[in-house]
Amino acid sequence: MASTVATEVPKSRVVVDAERCKGCDLCVVACPQQNLHLSGALNRSGYHPAVFEYHGKKGACTACGICYWVCPDFAITEVLRWKA
Amino acid sequence: MTTARDFLKGNEALAYGALRTGLNAFFGYPITPSSEIPETLAVEFGNPQYPAFKVFLQAASEIEAINMVIGAAATGAKVMAATSGPGFSLKQEGISFASGMELPMLIVDVNRGGPGLGNLGPEQTDYFQATKGGGHGGYRNIVLAPSSVPEMASFPALAFSLAFKHRTPVIILTDAFLGQLKEDLMFPEVPALEFDTSWATTGARGPERHVISSMHLDLPELSRHSEHLRSKFEGVDRSEQRSEKFQTDDADVILVAYGICARLCQRAVGTLRAKGVRVGLLRPITLSPFPKGELTAFVERGVQKFLVVELNTGQMIQDVQLATGGRAQVGSLQRVGGLIPSPSEIVHEVEGMVR
Amino acid sequence: MIDIEGHYEVKLGPLPTLTGKPTHYCAGCEHGTLTRLIAVALHEMGVRERTVLVDSVGCSVLAHEYLNVDAIQSPHGRAPAVMTGIKRMHPELLVFAVQGDGDAVSIGLSELIYAANRGEPITVFLVNNGIYGMTGGQMAPTTPEGMVTMTTPHGRDIAITGAPIDASKLLATFEAPAYVKRVFLPVTPTPAPDFYNARGSIEGARSVKNAFRVQEMGGFSFVEFVSTCNVNWKMSILKSKQYAAEVLAKVFPPGLFKDKFGVEKR
Repeated sequence: MASTVATEVPKSRVVVDAERCKGCDLCVVACPQQNLHLSGALNRSGYHPAVFEYHGKKGACTACGICYWVCPDFAITEVLRWKA
Repeated sequence: MTTARDFLKGNEALAYGALRTGLNAFFGYPITPSSEIPETLAVEFGNPQYPAFKVFLQAASEIEAINMVIGAAATGAKVMAATSGPGFSLKQEGISFASGMELPMLIVDVNRGGPGLGNLGPEQTDYFQATKGGGHGGYRNIVLAPSSVPEMASFPALAFSLAFKHRTPVIILTDAFLGQLKEDLMFPEVPALEFDTSWATTGARGPERHVISSMHLDLPELSRHSEHLRSKFEGVDRSEQRSEKFQTDDADVILVAYGICARLCQRAVGTLRAKGVRVGLLRPITLSPFPKGELTAFVERGVQKFLVVELNTGQMIQDVQLATGGRAQVGSLQRVGGLIPSPSEIVHEVEGMVR
Repeated sequence: MIDIEGHYEVKLGPLPTLTGKPTHYCAGCEHGTLTRLIAVALHEMGVRERTVLVDSVGCSVLAHEYLNVDAIQSPHGRAPAVMTGIKRMHPELLVFAVQGDGDAVSIGLSELIYAANRGEPITVFLVNNGIYGMTGGQMAPTTPEGMVTMTTPHGRDIAITGAPIDASKLLATFEAPAYVKRVFLPVTPTPAPDFYNARGSIEGARSVKNAFRVQEMGGFSFVEFVSTCNVNWKMSILKSKQYAAEVLAKVFPPGLFKDKFGVEKR
């Protein structure tokens, strides 16, 4: 598996499967840190999928999992926390 | 409790016959003239003589009962329901689903007078409904027709064997007369029946799981499923035709009758033979698959005359006409409303045909 | 530069109780959300190998495509009867159905009531969005007064069709059911602009697990999820969440109607 290399370590992050996403907006409006937004691009099904950003409008992802719980399409596939 | 030899009503004999094959579950709703079946099973529920009999439950409706049967059948259980006319109509949706989902089960229809509420007398008016599918979509049931109390007792074993062998609902189509008739009988020795139930939904123990569904939204997929059902029913048609012949070897006239009518015809054959009329009886045991092989053989042997005796306004006669292919005269003696013809009426009818 | 792979613990991740197939549900539908809640509960309770799902008819008819468990389909409205047949033969199994409001409260109300009244140890999850979804937006027994549907083009007139039926309240009048609860499942608008709280999902996850626990304790459990159907309500997804909060939640207020075994307190 290819390594993901970053200059800064996000303490928590979520993984979005863009191809599963139907762009319903629920994770976007439910994220307390506003770390998700809908992409301007389309996925293969023709939806604007959700995109995760570590630095949201209100702060960093806390791995609270709300996006995972509200997503009707299991498109938030993982909620990850840095092991230190 | 019964002894190996007993004197019972047809409905009671059927219930004990089912218990002796290792019946696991019964779900029913009371309806005359079938109610002795649930009543007998209710009395025997918990009897250590029948350890396999795990569930007896009276449902709130015929519909609820057949769907409980579906659930139990999906676990691979030997499960049955019993009903009559109006209740049999209500069960048709469930039977269609069970056929589509390939679930083995036994449904007993003690045919009463109809249409509608009709009356409580014997009729054979559910013949079409039982043999041609009855519910929506294209399917067939296996239909067995006992004609005596001993057969009421022995047919549940045959029914479950066929149901599990072909994974399809089997119907025992009897009538108010046989259900209520009391006769002397010997229960046959039936070995405990064990069937392959590896397809059942009892929890996915490994990565593999079972999904039992009649829904195939993909058009070619449903087409393939329907072809599979068709070839299954064709196989049943080839291998499972059952009938009994009585004095047919030299007969010029063949009576065709099932259930209680076959008993009446048997008496008429005796009377006619004494008068020198060469007449015999073909008694279908499986109404579906219909024993057309025997009928075709009669026509090929040169039999020109058939008389269909049935308690409806002309249902089985259509199958006899199809099997004889217009190459013989097919007469008909019908009674409805709960009445039955007397043997002397049958004698008179045959005499009219041979004169 | 830091290689970050392998340094994360998976707090929430893929579930073996899901098949992984993409769902047929419309974007933003609570059917998908509930599927996830069920998959989590089955996984955490470690019961997959003795679970049987009974499909109902409606949008939940394809639940077996997504939940990776043994499954059998039932005719329209008959899931509680089919579940009864399974459970009576195999009391060790965990048996449940996801039913819609048309399936459970209209054509299948009799089967639901009698299974509840017998206290069958089975679980029914009712997705109540006040409309027939799969058939294209006709009036359901739960449709709120005044709602325009395909069969009430001038709005539901309760003088003609009767008032919405409250299934949770109805079942709670029987002695036998052990757990009857109604949860508001959609994300809910808050005073903060563009922010919706997700309490429904969190409460829903707890309720699903409690319902299964109640079944394992031998009781009948029923959870009604007030949900949305934006496509047939003819609204945007977020507008449908607002409508659900303002209208549907008034007709069907969330609440715990029965908890015989006290599972909510544990």
